[in-house]
Amino acid sequence: MTTVTGETSPQGGGVLGRPLDIREDPQLLRGEATYVGDIDLPGTAHMAILGSPVAHAKILSIDTKAAEQLPGVLKVATAADFTDVMPLPCIWIPGGVESHFPPHPYGLPGSRPVLSGDTVRHVGDPLAVVVAETPRQAAAALAAISVEYEPLTAVTRADEALAEGAPQLHEAVPGNLNAYWTCGDKDRTDAAIAAAEVTVELDLVNQRTINSPIEPRGAVGDYNAATGEYTLYASTQGPHNHRFLLSALVLGIPFNKLRVVAPTVGGSFGTKGYLYPDMPLVLLLSKALGRPVKWVDTRTGLMNSTVQGRDHRQHVTLAGTRDGRITAVRCTSYANLGAYPSTIGPGVATALMGRSISGMYDIDAAFCEVYAAFTNTVSLGAQRGSGRAEAAFLMERLVDRYASEIGMDPAAVRRKNLVPKEKFPYDNGLGWTYDSGDYQLNFDRAIELSGYADMPARKTEARARGKRLGVGIASYVAICGVGPSTRMSKEGMLGGTWESANIRVHPTGEVTVTVGSASTGQSHGTVFAQVAADELGIDPAQVQVYEGDTLKAPYGQGTYGSRSYSMAAPAIALTARKIKSKLVKAGAVFLGVPEDKVVYADGKVFVEGHEDDTENTKTFAELAMALWYGWGLPPEIEPALDETTHFDPPDFNYPFGTHVAVVEIDELTGETEVVAYTAVDDAGNIGNPKIVLGQIEGSIVHGLGQALMEHAEYAPDGQLVSRDLGHYALPRAIDAPFFTLDKTVTPSPHNPLGAKGAGEIATVPPAAAVVNAVVDALSDLGVRHIDMPVTPEKVWRRLRGEAQ
Amino acid sequence: MDLSLNVNGRPEQFSAQPNELLVERLRDGLGLTGTKVGCDTGQCGTCVVRLDGRSVKSCLILTAAAAGSAVTTIEGVTTPGGELSGLQEALRQEHGTQCGFCTPGMVMALGELVDNTADREAPTEPEIREWLTGNLCRCTGYHSVVRGVQRACSAAREDAPAQPATATAAAASGQEG
Repeated sequence: MTTVTGETSPQGGGVLGRPLDIREDPQLLRGEATYVGDIDLPGTAHMAILGSPVAHAKILSIDTKAAEQLPGVLKVATAADFTDVMPLPCIWIPGGVESHFPPHPYGLPGSRPVLSGDTVRHVGDPLAVVVAETPRQAAAALAAISVEYEPLTAVTRADEALAEGAPQLHEAVPGNLNAYWTCGDKDRTDAAIAAAEVTVELDLVNQRTINSPIEPRGAVGDYNAATGEYTLYASTQGPHNHRFLLSALVLGIPFNKLRVVAPTVGGSFGTKGYLYPDMPLVLLLSKALGRPVKWVDTRTGLMNSTVQGRDHRQHVTLAGTRDGRITAVRCTSYANLGAYPSTIGPGVATALMGRSISGMYDIDAAFCEVYAAFTNTVSLGAQRGSGRAEAAFLMERLVDRYASEIGMDPAAVRRKNLVPKEKFPYDNGLGWTYDSGDYQLNFDRAIELSGYADMPARKTEARARGKRLGVGIASYVAICGVGPSTRMSKEGMLGGTWESANIRVHPTGEVTVTVGSASTGQSHGTVFAQVAADELGIDPAQVQVYEGDTLKAPYGQGTYGSRSYSMAAPAIALTARKIKSKLVKAGAVFLGVPEDKVVYADGKVFVEGHEDDTENTKTFAELAMALWYGWGLPPEIEPALDETTHFDPPDFNYPFGTHVAVVEIDELTGETEVVAYTAVDDAGNIGNPKIVLGQIEGSIVHGLGQALMEHAEYAPDGQLVSRDLGHYALPRAIDAPFFTLDKTVTPSPHNPLGAKGAGEIATVPPAAAVVNAVVDALSDLGVRHIDMPVTPEKVWRRLRGEAQ
Repeated sequence: MDLSLNVNGRPEQFSAQPNELLVERLRDGLGLTGTKVGCDTGQCGTCVVRLDGRSVKSCLILTAAAAGSAVTTIEGVTTPGGELSGLQEALRQEHGTQCGFCTPGMVMALGELVDNTADREAPTEPEIREWLTGNLCRCTGYHSVVRGVQRACSAAREDAPAQPATATAAAASGQEG
């Protein structure tokens, strides 16, 4: 069970920072929330997608006649039916490099057509669709489509795809290299490594994993022939982004003719922010058939079509002094982008990972190079903690390797190299400037809480029970708050990354907040109401939050990279301040005093010094009604209370933390059990600790999944072996250990709430902490590294002296 | 084939294909969409309903095999917008949800555990976790769910009169009658 020892510290005495009950919960607990699969528009037809059964092949012919004759089938379509549709774009090719990919008609790098025509490049690559009266009829008709393939050799590893003679995936991409990307100072790093007293190296595999939201993706397209308007209901974490990409960049229809609605979304963790072929397909087929068209994925479909995560093969080097001072770090990584560049996958595999590799440490020289390659696997994308988790894994493994090499305690080595408090803002030499932090305080708290000093005694005690106990530390810094639009443009992001909020105060004093972000389970309705209520000094029950519908909400980018609370919430706070400012102006008019004599506090305006005097006070509700009527307002004050803010922060924010894992390994079975886990995270000021607690707990378990069991395994011929949940292990309730949680609070200077990202940050260090603990437990056997997932078989073999 | 089920206390009669799954009948046939489908293989537990009181995965049972039985779905636990059950209230207090997609299945699976503990020893944390192994959650890491179940079991035991199980059941039934 989780122990939380951190103090909850409300900010400003208001409702922000308090663990208010989650208003979304009753509806979810009653099963009354509407997910995309629950949407049932009148006259809906059902779509199924034929994915390629082979990983790499030329398509010689597709015969759909038999399928068209089957009961209930309304339409069978292939790539030939969509020749006038633009390819899906990739909008994040890391800055400064050539993408080598055929450009999109709008000048963006292209990605993939809505359906593959001549060639299929991964198992599940969509090449035909059926629309029928029922889902079963549509699925049955897929089997009647006859496709003739000419098999091609497949390649599934990035390093192998770059080797001479490797199968070629795209004519326009010679050698399968999408991007060679670097950051940091190569010469300085190479020199520091050459001159170092001590160097250590590791070859690491950060295995591919599948995000596995419990709700598979789905989409409903509804074209209205009378108005020419399209509506897409989709399990999306960025409805505005999807509207922009689909209307202007894929369908070529006016922006204002497409509405995108995210209903309740059943988890995403990165995967539902991407543009997938099914989204344009349901819209186009709805128009063709004159009926709503619905598609809901299966689990196997999700596993071979929804973006997957991680997947780097790396050679990493760390240099230092004999007394524990790190002087340089270098990483060469082969990143597996899969068959096509996903919407933002290339940026995840390069910038998010590479610029993060130095972690919490003050290192003089650092350099990272990434070879991002195409292979015959599902496209790569974001996954909870994306990029940062891969970076933390390599750095924290290296630090332990270094500590072992110089015979120093791993905690002491880390302590010695933490970026000191007085050095913030801190330029990490790789492209990030850390905003704020007290890494020493955070680190010491984690070490103390974990009982680190008692570990030698615990190891002895465990050995008496036939168990090997190991302890592993992992610290991290996670870039969040994406982001500053200009900064992201330099990073290669095609599009603004600001966030917006609108506040409308109704004549009755109730408040509606609409935001561009869109929850995938982060209880935005609760915490965003807290933000508005706190600023306005009113009861959160008066505030209703709307998001996820492009028709109702202002623009915004959506939920990703733990950005909603540090991007959308500040937009709300700033908008509330505009409202307050107008209330002060109006209050001055209605109270008949100069503006500088008017104070706004606790949901009312009053003449300075007359807070309790009703004659000299106007309540929030009174002013709302007065502004609604608009009587007696001077020309410079418009009627009504309706304000919007577009928030584009000056820079990112950088949450951080330290986790300590304690594992016990069974000598007989090789099974690894996480017996204790301590996490001290710093996400700046927190809006609702109840929400963040759940996110921290869930994130840690997700990270443990990568360490211990999760692996998207491809056979050499490109078949996805882990094609369903019987072949892909997700952590279950019995796999979660006891947690001890605490926090430190270092506000970010880059937004008015002092917030930092929180949602996924605790996914970043667990894999490194657990593998460090396992290696610690096996170190006397000469084990220096073990690849994830740390399965019982792998450990069992190492216990018996087999090499990795 | 013509079949009948008692669903949430209401008799339902319908014609179904022999290969129809119970979850399809509930969601597509009867419009009870609180029951979810999250995987193809019976792993995820989002489709759990109570069949004659026992929690089962409705994607692994043919409608025909369930014919004549009493089915309780999440819609049968409370009235729309109504008061939450003890378990639901405990999960609310512990925020045992996030995206909520696995939640109905969890409520149905855990309901059986909580019901059975009103007049017995409360389940231990490992027992709760063991009970939960048929339900996958990717958001919460299960901790808040386990806390919710512990809270619900405590409340159920406090509320239960100190009487033998059969007498308690009879008394409860008498009150309802």
